[in-house]
Amino acid sequence: MSQAGPGSTDAPRTVACRCRGASVELGIGPRSRCILDSVDLDLLEGELVSVLGRSGSGKTTLLRVLGGLLRPAAGSQVAFHGQPVDGPPQGVVFVFQNYAASLLPWRTVDKNVALGLEGRLPAEQLKTQVAEALETVGLADRARDYPWQLSGGMQQRVQLARALAMRPRGMLMDEPFGSLDAMTKASLQDQLQVVHQSTGATIAFVTHDIDEAVYLSDRILVLGGAPATVVHDIRVDLPRPRHQLATKELPEFLRLRRQVHNAVIGAG
Amino acid sequence: MRRAADGLRRVNVAGLLTMLALLGVWETAVRAASLQLTTLPPPSAVAARAGDLLLSGTLVADLLHTLQVTLLGWLLAGVIGVTLGLFLGLWRPAWRWSMASLELLRAVPPITLVPMALFVFGFSVRTELTLVVYASTWPVLVNTLEGARAVRPELRDVARTLRLSRWQTLRKVVLPAAAPSILVGLQLGLSLALVLAIVAELVGNPAGLGQGLVLAQLALRPEEMFVYFFTIGLLGIGLNAALRVLVARIPGTTPYGRRES
Amino acid sequence: MTAAVPGAADAVPAAAAAAEAAPGAARRRSGLFPPLRGLLPLGLLLVLWQLTAARLPLYFPPPTDWAVGLRELWDAGLLLPAAAATVRTFGLGLGAAIVLGTAVGLAVGASPAVDRALRPTLEFARAMPPAAVVPIATLLLGFTATMKVVVVTSAALWSILLNTRSGLRQVDPVLLDAARSLHLRGSERLRKVVLPALLPSVFVGVRIAAPVALVITLLVEILTQVDGIGALIGLSQRNFQFARGYGLILVAALFSLAVNALVSTLQEYVLRHHPPAG
Repeated sequence: MSQAGPGSTDAPRTVACRCRGASVELGIGPRSRCILDSVDLDLLEGELVSVLGRSGSGKTTLLRVLGGLLRPAAGSQVAFHGQPVDGPPQGVVFVFQNYAASLLPWRTVDKNVALGLEGRLPAEQLKTQVAEALETVGLADRARDYPWQLSGGMQQRVQLARALAMRPRGMLMDEPFGSLDAMTKASLQDQLQVVHQSTGATIAFVTHDIDEAVYLSDRILVLGGAPATVVHDIRVDLPRPRHQLATKELPEFLRLRRQVHNAVIGAG
Repeated sequence: MRRAADGLRRVNVAGLLTMLALLGVWETAVRAASLQLTTLPPPSAVAARAGDLLLSGTLVADLLHTLQVTLLGWLLAGVIGVTLGLFLGLWRPAWRWSMASLELLRAVPPITLVPMALFVFGFSVRTELTLVVYASTWPVLVNTLEGARAVRPELRDVARTLRLSRWQTLRKVVLPAAAPSILVGLQLGLSLALVLAIVAELVGNPAGLGQGLVLAQLALRPEEMFVYFFTIGLLGIGLNAALRVLVARIPGTTPYGRRES
Repeated sequence: MTAAVPGAADAVPAAAAAAEAAPGAARRRSGLFPPLRGLLPLGLLLVLWQLTAARLPLYFPPPTDWAVGLRELWDAGLLLPAAAATVRTFGLGLGAAIVLGTAVGLAVGASPAVDRALRPTLEFARAMPPAAVVPIATLLLGFTATMKVVVVTSAALWSILLNTRSGLRQVDPVLLDAARSLHLRGSERLRKVVLPALLPSVFVGVRIAAPVALVITLLVEILTQVDGIGALIGLSQRNFQFARGYGLILVAALFSLAVNALVSTLQEYVLRHHPPAG
């Protein structure tokens, strides 16, 4: 039994996201390719799930389907918190891999973070939530800077802050730390853990980094095959909170790592 | 089989249909108009008049005149513009001691010189040619100049370390590097040449498509006006297209090729 | 760039403008004026002209006469209304071009189907030299201020349209996805994301359209004599008042420089929050 989430007991958790038979075909006519084929998965409330697979295995496509950014083929059923997904679902935010392109270059950091909340909250509350989000990611002192004045890692943190400011119930993250250097990546991974612990949000996390997947997740879904399906569903029972060094030295970590590695290789 | 299908897809069916639809709207609107649209002729009348003018040879003669003056003027402008542009672009002292003047001179819109030119050169083809050359030299000159100046110093250093002579450097390094800019300048110059030719023919030189247009206006023949109007447009498109095809044939220009999207 | 390029390329002068920036110079300020000592040739020419005035034909009056001519026009109450008319036509024409160009550019950029359908028609319309449009416009609209504005707009809108279209294509899809995933409504997306993202491209178009608008304004005025500086130039020439003509040409040149400076300043102001180009 995994031990994540605030106030979690051993009581069975509700399903946050249910996906049945999701299929995606891209392109038209003779050039079309079937990317996903009848993918079934459940994300439980408060879980941190990694979606792992080789490059081009359809991980991003799956995430975009869950996030309502891509419409799956007819017959697919995707629901978030009980509501069928038709466009970006309420209470769920998407964090993009290309952080630079997802921020508005003409807005300062704080205005970028506020983007999803404008017109929906009274001014005072908006300011508070933005400030809290920036505090969480450690960028409170860069609030008035422009994105192009920040480093890559900081820009990704701004995107993260923007997502957090929405106080989401679900977060879908597409290789969010993929283009960052090792130290920044480690730092952000730990920040994500903190966020996960404190908010109890359901997080689905696409990555091709096996170590990252094992380190962060409660569960790992391995995608494979062409067209892709979920070929493995591996539970990660490492104790929380996890530490970059201590956890990675546990025999259980190493065992899981090998298991996942073999699963990914075997998944093809 | 594949080739034919591709070729067919190349033909912009939707686009052509839209144009035809617009012409159709024009035709029916004029015919059905309850207002006194004596000034706007239907496309059918325009087409008929075009036929007459073609048969009588007037249209072709006028077209040839405009075409000749435009091309001649443009070629002259090209020679002057590229030579001067390279000179100023490559020899810094020349640039330093003349660029400011050129910037100010460039600010004088060539069109404002037309009445003056009429006085000096009279109502003749000399006026037309002078205006064309004067106006289209500018884009060629400016673009050549900038192209030459923008040649990366590293490339010039390469030429020096390879002990290339001045002439060789020009031919093998500077010109190819500046070629995209020069070509852009020439393309702009061509469009401008046609524009000035038409303007000159409208007011000064009794010949060419511009004059045909103005004569039709004075004779109160709207259909004829439209014939000349469309001919001028087609000439413009034709010239630009021809130049584009020519440019594409030159090796080494396609990486810089402007994609006319 | 002040050369009139109606019917010519659009994104292309942007490349030339980018090439204008001297190495090391700030790219934003592409209006760096070359060294002032370069004014020497022009200065010498004018001095020479002045000195040899007596020996030149009548239609080359010396520069001092030009100032006198302008003074006469001012005193006669002709200069100011003409300048106002030119500015008014220019402003309205450019304004309409921006509105229309952006709107159509958005429509065409957003929908490939619409783009294809309109392409031949727009290409043809774009290729029409404004000089040829003038007689047709006077035929349909008469010798009115409206006619002037219509002709100016028809010439100036192309670079804005094409740059808006390419700007829309260049908007990173991730930006739009991010806006969608933040649950921004369509109108919000347009207002807060799409339009600001397009602003730099629109301005590239405006930088080209503004000089075009001025030149075409003068063109229409010279050809139709309706009003404005151009009409005044024609009038002066016809009355053999050459000095006035030259003075007015000078005024036109000053307008040209002013327009460029204004657009540059405006661009810097509007794009002040945007990251530096390049």
